[in-house]
Amino acid sequence: MTTKLWAVGLVILATLIGAFGPILLKKASAKKLFKISSLIKNYHLFGGVALYAIGTILFIPALKGGDLSVLYPFVALSYIWVSLLSVKFLGEKMNKFKWLGIGLIMIGVTLIGIGS
Amino acid sequence: MKHYQFLKINKYKNSNLSNLQMATKPWSILLVLFTTLLTSSAQILYKLGSNTLTFSFAGILKNYYFIFGLILYTIGGILIIISFRGGEVSVLYPIIAMSYIWVSFMSQVYLEETMNIFKWIGVLAIILGITSISFGSKNSASGAYAK
Repeated sequence: MTTKLWAVGLVILATLIGAFGPILLKKASAKKLFKISSLIKNYHLFGGVALYAIGTILFIPALKGGDLSVLYPFVALSYIWVSLLSVKFLGEKMNKFKWLGIGLIMIGVTLIGIGS
Repeated sequence: MKHYQFLKINKYKNSNLSNLQMATKPWSILLVLFTTLLTSSAQILYKLGSNTLTFSFAGILKNYYFIFGLILYTIGGILIIISFRGGEVSVLYPIIAMSYIWVSFMSQVYLEETMNIFKWIGVLAIILGITSISFGSKNSASGAYAK
């Protein structure tokens, strides 16, 4: 089975949406998690879980359009998005290890694409 | 005893520091390794389920592959959270990345897909990349949330 381009696109979109999940969960973790009144008002928590779920749900129909051994490695792109989004939204810093990792993951998915 | 408790409290106060100093326990490494097998199996089941997936409530409930995959994935998620109590993110994330190897093998066996040298080198590069990002996240909390 050849992997369709729309399936790859959908997986990339799924990882991008899903990557906002951990960012919101990180913000949620700063609030009181063991107090009910605080918990039900923790919009970051619900938003984070919802985005994570949407990311997973989008992944399933994408699997219809190609091989799992091609599409699954693209999930690793979420590491790139989370690294970059945590700089923008959490004030974390990039370093050479993170940039090296981003480069390696991009080379990796490119090779998977070539091999498919 | 009192002295020990004092140390413990101090450790919790500065959780960032304690993460750095904490040695990863063997049980947490084994648990993560086991978990990657569960979540990789879940991917195979998702793929099998996606072939017959219909977007209706009944259709999803009757899709046993999908439901079983979802159960395995959820158990995996819980086990990962437990295992993080006994280990460092920079050690455990590269082990989680092993799932890219398992999925590649399992796809050949259960889905009759084919691997080739490009795909294997790609998988290797991705694992090295995740290892590098995890190592770079050692001093910040972000690693813990990088999926």
